[in-house]
Amino acid sequence: MTELTADDLRERWYQSEVSVPPISYWSVVRRRFLRNKLGVAALIVLILIIAAAVFAPWICPYDPLVGKPADRLQNIFSFSTGHPLGTDEQGRDMLTRVLYGGRLSLLAGFVPTLVAAVVGTIIGTWAGLVRGAVGAILMRIMDMLYAFPAILLAIAVGSSLGAGLSNTIIAVSIVFIPPVSRIAESETRKIVTSEYVEAARLSGASRIRILRTQLLPNVLNEIIVYSSGLVGVAMIIAASLSFLGLGSRPPTPEWGYMLESLQGDIYVVPAVVAVPGIFIFLTSVTFNTASDALREAMDTRLG
Amino acid sequence: MIQLTLRRLAMAMLILFGVSVVIFLLMNVLPGDPVATLLGPDASNADRLALRHSLGLDKPLPTQYVDWLGRTLTGDLGYSQYRRAEVLSLINAAWVNTAILAGFSALFGLVAGVALGFAAGARRGKVVDKVISTFGMAGLSIPSFFVAIILLTFFAARWRWLPAGGTSLSGAGQGGLGEFVRHLIMPVVAGSLVTLAITARVTRASIVEAYQADFVETLRAKGLTGLQILRHVFKNALSPVLTTSGLQIGYLLGGSVLIETIFQWPGIGLLLYNAIEARDLVVVEGTTLVIAGTFVLINLLVDLLQAVIDPRQRYALA
Repeated sequence: MTELTADDLRERWYQSEVSVPPISYWSVVRRRFLRNKLGVAALIVLILIIAAAVFAPWICPYDPLVGKPADRLQNIFSFSTGHPLGTDEQGRDMLTRVLYGGRLSLLAGFVPTLVAAVVGTIIGTWAGLVRGAVGAILMRIMDMLYAFPAILLAIAVGSSLGAGLSNTIIAVSIVFIPPVSRIAESETRKIVTSEYVEAARLSGASRIRILRTQLLPNVLNEIIVYSSGLVGVAMIIAASLSFLGLGSRPPTPEWGYMLESLQGDIYVVPAVVAVPGIFIFLTSVTFNTASDALREAMDTRLG
Repeated sequence: MIQLTLRRLAMAMLILFGVSVVIFLLMNVLPGDPVATLLGPDASNADRLALRHSLGLDKPLPTQYVDWLGRTLTGDLGYSQYRRAEVLSLINAAWVNTAILAGFSALFGLVAGVALGFAAGARRGKVVDKVISTFGMAGLSIPSFFVAIILLTFFAARWRWLPAGGTSLSGAGQGGLGEFVRHLIMPVVAGSLVTLAITARVTRASIVEAYQADFVETLRAKGLTGLQILRHVFKNALSPVLTTSGLQIGYLLGGSVLIETIFQWPGIGLLLYNAIEARDLVVVEGTTLVIAGTFVLINLLVDLLQAVIDPRQRYALA
């Protein structure tokens, strides 16, 4: 008789005992998410907005930076002149500018969230694992950054780095790292002492293996849910910085900056001025709705 | 309780110290040379070195920090070359206005938020709940400066019901209580919408969770009416709401930069905005320190208040 490995035994057991195919966690989440009509609708609108922004150069017939001064400040729904969302103060097509601006605004929403999720998870998990002095110092540093109101910290970092979209992205990333690492740390502490980690340790799994198979998947669930709600916030903070003149520089379109530069024409074409604001709102509200739906589907209990 | 207060106080001091380090580093380590800004590109090397020395910039960084902290603690926040005034006197003139605006915004946002969240949570799944939840989601997702622009368009520009900005407290426009309120309405509504939305969401979630607790079952078994049970649920649901309140007041202070700028409200936020535009870093430093410091103290107060009203928190926090 040849010696059986654990995998052989498991294979044999599956063939004999298990008649139902195993269902993975993520397929359950997907099914639950798809049942949530509001969440699915939000996701579809979101995908449309993202796609329109990404493919802006192929969709838009106009130049986002140079307009025709003769066509300036046309109202929305000027279909006859070919400007469905009107034109801005320099005669640039608003639809074109909104879609191009969406590329930067969405970037300013996604990049800080991703950076903060990765860095925050590393810091938080590390602090939760090693504890002791290193962990305490790391978390106290996070507490100190967390002691600022988010927008104030972003403004302070932004104003010391100077204007520019990349600086805005850095500023918002710094703002988001502390809350993410706090969640990662408390979750790690909870999991490390749990029975299934104890079981994995007893069965001889190495530290790396426990980290990879037991710890990270559970920590990441929390982080994914929390981060998905951050994208909308990041967009609004970035737009606020642009609005204050700390974000993207003219003539590059970005929604917050567009709102600021059009502000003076509010008496002439209020509907056109509202366009970038409506896009910020629409993107942010769909992000938050989708995030809520994801939270429910993943069934995590986080405030 | 005394021990808890002392411990929290020590913690807050540590955080305040951290806040001062962060602000100092932001203003002194990151790129941008204050000497070059002050003297312009044509200054000679000797002039630069002299100014560097007189500003104490040639000392090592930790020494610079200790000097700066010592000056700050004695109330010397520096002198703004741009405004030709002491930073402390600028802040002194502005903070009352910010306190008024943020105070009324907090009052409005928190009271209305708790009321709406309570109504939604108590009637979970009903029409009221759906309307309020939708409103909460919308309020959370709309930038305050966009709300401000919409309000200005209609109430100030088109219908001329409300003044477009400023305050009746300073300058010539002294118009009694009516004028004071008229100037407050738009900034308060625009600034507190996010606070209102978040508070409503937290309150609703907290009420819903408290309803699922075991004690509700006990009360029901005892034969209490729905209204009586609601009273108990409300008391138990208050703690997360209080925590959010502290954070919200901080966000209102941070958000005051936007709101005060749009409505030309002469507070700390407007001071900060003007300082950023002029790259007047001393004022940026001073105002940031004051706002962040206030935020830390408010959170300390909320923590302690929580321990007073909820005995369970005393053990959790200690």
